[in-house]
Amino acid sequence: MTASRWSLRHHRLQAILAVASIGTAVALPVVLLSVGGGVSQHELAQLENSGYQLSISAGGLHGISGAHALVAQIDALPHVASASAVLSVAVDLFLPTGGVTPALAEGVMPGAFLATQGPTTAGLFPHPLPLGDPSDLAHYANGTYAGPPALDVLVASPFAQDFGFGVGATLGLGATTNRSAATPFTVTGTFGVPAQTLGPAAVFAIVLPLSDLQQLTGYARAGAGSGALLDQADTIEVALAGSAATSVAAISQVQQEVQGLAPFYGVSALTDQASELRASIGVLNGFYLALSSVSLTIGLLFLALVLLRRVEAERRTIGIRRALGLPGRQIALGLARDGLVLAAAGGAAGTVGGIAVVTGLARFGSGSVATAAGLALFDPLTLGLLLAGVLLLSLGASAVAARSALRGSIPEALR
Amino acid sequence: MSPVPEIAVRAVSKSYSAGRPEEVRALRGVSVVLPPGDVVSVEGPSGCGKTTLLNLLGLLDVPSQGQVLWDGRNVAVRSERERARLRLTGVGFIFQRFYLLPTMTARENVELPMRALGRPAGERRARADRLLADVGLSPRAEAFPHELSGGEEQRVAVARALANAPGLLLADEPTGELDRANTDQILDLLLRVQAESGSTLLLVTHNPRVAARARRHLRMEDGRIVGDGPEA
Ligand SMILES: Nc1ncnc2c1ncn2[C@@H]1O[C@H](COP(=O)(O)OP(=O)(O)O)[C@@H](O)[C@H]1O
Ligand SMILES: [Mg+2]
Repeated sequence: MTASRWSLRHHRLQAILAVASIGTAVALPVVLLSVGGGVSQHELAQLENSGYQLSISAGGLHGISGAHALVAQIDALPHVASASAVLSVAVDLFLPTGGVTPALAEGVMPGAFLATQGPTTAGLFPHPLPLGDPSDLAHYANGTYAGPPALDVLVASPFAQDFGFGVGATLGLGATTNRSAATPFTVTGTFGVPAQTLGPAAVFAIVLPLSDLQQLTGYARAGAGSGALLDQADTIEVALAGSAATSVAAISQVQQEVQGLAPFYGVSALTDQASELRASIGVLNGFYLALSSVSLTIGLLFLALVLLRRVEAERRTIGIRRALGLPGRQIALGLARDGLVLAAAGGAAGTVGGIAVVTGLARFGSGSVATAAGLALFDPLTLGLLLAGVLLLSLGASAVAARSALRGSIPEALR
Repeated sequence: MSPVPEIAVRAVSKSYSAGRPEEVRALRGVSVVLPPGDVVSVEGPSGCGKTTLLNLLGLLDVPSQGQVLWDGRNVAVRSERERARLRLTGVGFIFQRFYLLPTMTARENVELPMRALGRPAGERRARADRLLADVGLSPRAEAFPHELSGGEEQRVAVARALANAPGLLLADEPTGELDRANTDQILDLLLRVQAESGSTLLLVTHNPRVAARARRHLRMEDGRIVGDGPEA
């Protein structure tokens, strides 16, 4: 005890360096694991709360053709609660104030759209969507597009605010910048935009009925008016009903049935995506751990060097203790205790430092860095295991030092 | 106190850096028996192997050849762990350069060997204080080695050597760094505790004044014992 008290007091600089090196070594995994784990959990949660379980998309640049018919077929399958075709196209928007701006438009089937969104997204919209024609079949009229268009549009509230208009205003929508070719739409509602998240989050300026957007942008028929029927959408999202939504077996059964209806399109299940995400989280965690083990190894090598340096500096007094017949165990225990104290101090400093770094990034960082840091999860179990590992490994470092302390002849050490 | 063993070496040789060009043969076939209670001086020129012999007798080192016998048992072949235990309980070392632990007070230094044996705190403190009183250092019990004179340091070292009441006292030029007055004081002290305890005392020295106090005189030269008798 006395030796340890003395060591830590009289080798203060070495102790500080050892604590700093272990602290740095521990801070890295704290940051990596907490931020990495937080982001992964967040993405997984988003995936699991997305409101739909199957997603149909076409490969390459081709959209899904015959979207209305395919949606009707899917709707008729057992377990299916709702299928929703979505088309996203950039359009030109002629403002009430006279300007023109490009805007990303989302064409939806009003009744099905919210049913296939997760609670977060759905909460941003008015219920039901005030876009008339809930099934989008009145205007579409069995592929003729001869029915009455709703000509209603929803606008993202920041967008409406930026351009100074609101519900009741008339917007001209067109596929070209030619105002006289634009179609007048009435703003019947606004919707919020999601809080900033990581990765490309589709933030739409306007939402309107699918068939209106198809016709406006030429995704209804090939060639103007009379060409072949296209009825294109980008994706069809399918929500399953009740317990089927969480049953892997039901999801994969419906997935196969949908695939049977649309053999040339990709049908992916979010459960697959989630398990892929989990697999990649596992890979990422392994990578974090590998990276962390490099930094921890360096920290512990440093600790071993400091302890060896201490043994070297105390060669004479260790020799005296050995000459007096004090058990080598006591000398080794003293070193182990020194190592543990330094490792614990370093581990604590590194944990506090790592948490401080993450908190600081969340508060003062910019963009996605701040967002990612804000999602960090400080899992007590992970941090505890990390610290326990550091303490355990410090015993290795002190064992190396103890070996060196007890090796060699005693008269040699006393010279 | 521990029973005083008969200590002996039989045909011991000790080489340093054996097999290399710089090999030193510090002891060349030495045999000697120290009956319990003997007071022996070891004399001889510097480098003749006195310290090496003392280290072998006190189990600080092992011979290259030959046996170190405690009551007839060859202790040189025991594990370092067992030899450490025998040193702790059976040997009191007094070194030329005192070798007190610099971060411990006089009392803590004296308590150290008792602590290693797991003696209760109260008991070892009382014994440390009694030993410090015996060597005339009661007022300096709380002093650190750097606060003590050389003579005082060596007296603390004697008290520490006596802590576990060893049967064998080994002093390697214990007065080598002391002036005449301190030399006499330390010698008186060693001979007094030897007389009181009946332990075996081996004094390595090349000071004739010190050697003169021994009852038996070993003379060494070049790694060999060349004289052994009551006459200096
Ligand atoms: N550890 C060592 N390595 C090499 N040579 C040593 C070592 N210790 C002692 N010697 C040599 O062994 C011889 C005997 O040394 P020592 O026993 O210390 O002599 P003394 O105590 O009589 O002066 C000397 O020549 C000395 O230089
Ligand atoms: Mg010597």
